[in-house]
Amino acid sequence: MNKSHSNRLGWILLSPSLLILGIAGLAPFFYVIYVGTHSWNVFSKERGKVFVGIQNYRDLVFDSAFLGTLSRTLLFSFLVVTIELILGFILALSLMKDFKAKTFFRTVYVLPVVVAPIAVGATWRLMMAQGHGPIPFFLNKFFGWDFNTGASTTQAWIAILLMDIWHWTPFVTLTLLAGLLAIPKEPVEAASVDGANRFQMYRFLILPMLLPVILITVFIRVMDSLRSMEDVYMLTNGGPGSSTTFVGLHIFRTVFAKQEYGYGSSMSLLVLYFTIVICWLLFNALTGKESKRTV
Amino acid sequence: MNTNSAQSRFTSIFSGVSRYALWSLLTIFTLGPIYWMFVVSSRSPVEVYDKPNLVIDSFYTENYAKVFQDRVVRNYMVNSLIVATTNAILVTVLALFATYALTRWKLKGSDSIFFWTITNRMAPPAAFILPNFLIFTQVVKFDDFMLFDSKIGLILIYCLFNLPFAIWLLKGMLEGIPLELDEAALVDRASRMQVLFKIIVPLAAPGLAITFILTWVFAWNEYLLAASLSSSSARTITTRLAEYVTTTGTNYGELAAVAIIATLPAIIFLTFIQKYIVTGLTFGAVKE
Amino acid sequence: MLNIRNRRGLALASVVSSLALVLSACSSSSDSGSASGDDAWFAEAAEKLECKGKTLKGVTENTPPGQYVKSDIIPAFEAATGMKVDLETTSWDEMYSKAINDMEAKTGIYDFVYIEQDIIYQYLKNNYLANITQTINENADLKAPSFDLGKFTSFIDNFKDANGDVYGIPMEAFVKVYLYRTDLFNDPAIQESFKAKYKRDLVPAKNYKEYKEIAEFFTEYGKGKDLWGTTVQAVTGHPASFYELFESILPTNGVYNWGINNGKATSANGGSMDSKAAKDVFAFWVGLLKQAPPESKQSTWTEVGTTFAAGRAAQGWVYGENVAWIATDASKSKVVGKVGVTLPPLGNPQVLEDAKSGKGYLGYYDGGAFGVPATSNNINCSILFQQYHGQESVQAKWAAAGSRIVMESTYSDPIVQEMDAKTNGYYTHMKEQGPLYRGAPPYPFHSAVREVIAPFIYDAIAGKISTSDALDKAAKAADAEMKKLGY
Repeated sequence: MNKSHSNRLGWILLSPSLLILGIAGLAPFFYVIYVGTHSWNVFSKERGKVFVGIQNYRDLVFDSAFLGTLSRTLLFSFLVVTIELILGFILALSLMKDFKAKTFFRTVYVLPVVVAPIAVGATWRLMMAQGHGPIPFFLNKFFGWDFNTGASTTQAWIAILLMDIWHWTPFVTLTLLAGLLAIPKEPVEAASVDGANRFQMYRFLILPMLLPVILITVFIRVMDSLRSMEDVYMLTNGGPGSSTTFVGLHIFRTVFAKQEYGYGSSMSLLVLYFTIVICWLLFNALTGKESKRTV
Repeated sequence: MNTNSAQSRFTSIFSGVSRYALWSLLTIFTLGPIYWMFVVSSRSPVEVYDKPNLVIDSFYTENYAKVFQDRVVRNYMVNSLIVATTNAILVTVLALFATYALTRWKLKGSDSIFFWTITNRMAPPAAFILPNFLIFTQVVKFDDFMLFDSKIGLILIYCLFNLPFAIWLLKGMLEGIPLELDEAALVDRASRMQVLFKIIVPLAAPGLAITFILTWVFAWNEYLLAASLSSSSARTITTRLAEYVTTTGTNYGELAAVAIIATLPAIIFLTFIQKYIVTGLTFGAVKE
Repeated sequence: MLNIRNRRGLALASVVSSLALVLSACSSSSDSGSASGDDAWFAEAAEKLECKGKTLKGVTENTPPGQYVKSDIIPAFEAATGMKVDLETTSWDEMYSKAINDMEAKTGIYDFVYIEQDIIYQYLKNNYLANITQTINENADLKAPSFDLGKFTSFIDNFKDANGDVYGIPMEAFVKVYLYRTDLFNDPAIQESFKAKYKRDLVPAKNYKEYKEIAEFFTEYGKGKDLWGTTVQAVTGHPASFYELFESILPTNGVYNWGINNGKATSANGGSMDSKAAKDVFAFWVGLLKQAPPESKQSTWTEVGTTFAAGRAAQGWVYGENVAWIATDASKSKVVGKVGVTLPPLGNPQVLEDAKSGKGYLGYYDGGAFGVPATSNNINCSILFQQYHGQESVQAKWAAAGSRIVMESTYSDPIVQEMDAKTNGYYTHMKEQGPLYRGAPPYPFHSAVREVIAPFIYDAIAGKISTSDALDKAAKAADAEMKKLGY
């Protein structure tokens, strides 16, 4: 086989994607890097960009507001991904065997994934609203609890966690289910014949085989929860105070409300770098497990 | 699906009544918010802000009537349809080519390239609005046409987050198709492209379907880019949702009505395709 | 005696005539040119200025006044001039980002943009807008006889530069008033109960002590009835709380213009943001949360409006644009016809003197205008449109649709007088007491400083820091930010 000839075809097939991503992705990316080295507030006394080198990044490292949003986002991401992973796994297990109305249950269960984030946020906001929202109303009526996401940080967090779990666990469940179904039966049979108990089965056989799928799911969820904005914004507006203000919203406010393009750009790049590092670690764990063969 | 044997004994953990209880509860939890959205859409503004009532006593049809009579909503729906469908097709095809190349050729730096494509989806979008705005209004400009406020513009920019996602999804699936099949066909003097279309595509069909559906849904639901890069002719239905949040009160009834109408196409898609979901995700190994 | 042929003919005739009626009804709704002014002149001007067939692009907020422009004014204008007008009605931040991006990057996409009264100074500083006065003066063909800058209320002064040239044509204006429930205040049983407890008549409060007593009284009275003593626009995480505090509350205790003096906020540097007066009234305002419904900590101006409309508060500071629909629209409000309007309670009588003399003010005069970006490619044609919506004849129906008044003569229009009666005198109040209110101070650093102050306000509302601490920190942060921006 003529290697260089066939490599050319490979590159040709790959190129349209690279082209689009390159143009749509790289150009803005370089622009943001460029702006990130300037101080640029449209309404400062001195119009226009002022070159400040890496001063923005130095400021960011000490910016307690920004660091606060970063730590909150990481905490949220961690909580959400962990809970969704556990719940998703349990539910995926229960979907492995056929049972009556399984298709119905599964179809309904997947619905949240297709609702627009902005609609998800609006709906949950309505459900949690004081006075006309059913959740605070019935919690008060039946349990005497005072559920106010505008007043209590803990309750606001519970609300956004619930919302995210509602929205994304189906996705996690499906990917885990796919992974579970793809596990070859022979090793499991063999181990069972050898007298392995449930715990050993999971620890040494099932979970390790499931690892790639788990990692892919975690990868995607971490990535998305680190940049999400619309649904949390609609539900709590980042409040009470700034307790549910995450990085995505903070950058949005810096750029649009404060008109600080320079600082906002550098912030964005720092967060991107962060995300890349986290995902690169996950990615390496993932590709380490796959064999690499080609034709 | 063969579910007896050791595997099912070890992996199924609920059975009988407890399983039905679990899934019934889940169904209530899942449908709850959607049901509430529907209830809100049946209420007039004064009723929405009243004490919550779980039952629909009377249906305030004004919300839906206004939405249906609204020429604008119809335009926005059509825009969304065009943009989402075209983008999903474009992305699926391009991703197919790309992943075929990545899995069947040993291209230099393909791992890094693969990782780089995903990074396009990682950045918080706010700071990228301005450069995209500039590109759309200044850089790509011929005579009267510019990318700003054009459906083509949206279709192209959506590739930024959909293409990486599709590539990631399909790569795993194509890797699950044994190379032996390729080799056998190539020995028989088939060309690479023939292998792609005659062997890979049929086997990957469920995966392609699932990729198409998910990218379609993401494109349909996207808000920030659509709002910032469109003005009047390329507005999508999700931007309409945001417009309901006004300074003189959010008309939640109408917002809910539009939200439900905006979600319907996706729900319809879902019900038709749902049998492919699991098949697609198991890389074709399991048929439903 | 109709035979079959005649009957068929009659049927046909009646179908045709009813079709004609329906069609003419459809077309006449877009042919509202007759209802709104000097269309003949505008048609001619469009020809002369070669505007016919051109498309104007605008962006504004999605509010009732903005929607009326879209639904009534624009179709009339299009019919008269043969131009097309594409108006985007979007959310608040989207509108700003698009307008500013366009004007800053000079991309020339928009031909008119909404200018809120508080951002005009920033726009003027950056030379974003075209000088409407001068452009009209330089071009005789452009001057519409039915358009007179002198007819606008003093609100238009907000959109003038140092020379008195106009850069924006007002399209909406409201005052944020002290709104109270007339049904509750006029109820004999309640009045008696109040008098028994506080030894004075139940009337709208004139000072903070009275206001607090009324709030406490109604919260007590309203237990179990879903009624509280006052609204508070105390959302944490959204600038609405900042705005209520700085624009409506602080002035009532003599702290004007955010307490910033010559670019300085701290008392040490000559400002008054952290003065005793500011701290006292801030504490009073946050204290009102005890008498406010539970949604107050999530309430922007929107929620305050809907809270009031749902009958959950006895009194409160409410934006004018909400007053009208709260008082008149039964599909949105449960207290139609049950609200009254009056001047807000003051910290001390000196404030009223200040407001009357012009030295200070006692509340917020809100509103916006349409301006023409200097980078627009259709400045003349856009100015035609600005004059069109600025005609006297257009104002009354617009007022009814959006409860906004920007022209003196509109007050005396019968439509507005009718609405005035229904709102128990909101428009009279705006006309007579309007001069006591004022818009946002002329600060080009408005948004940046707001964003550094706001977090401290949120923390004080959430109880994390004291109100006194909050203002101390806010003033220092404000000084630092203004210094950083070069002011």
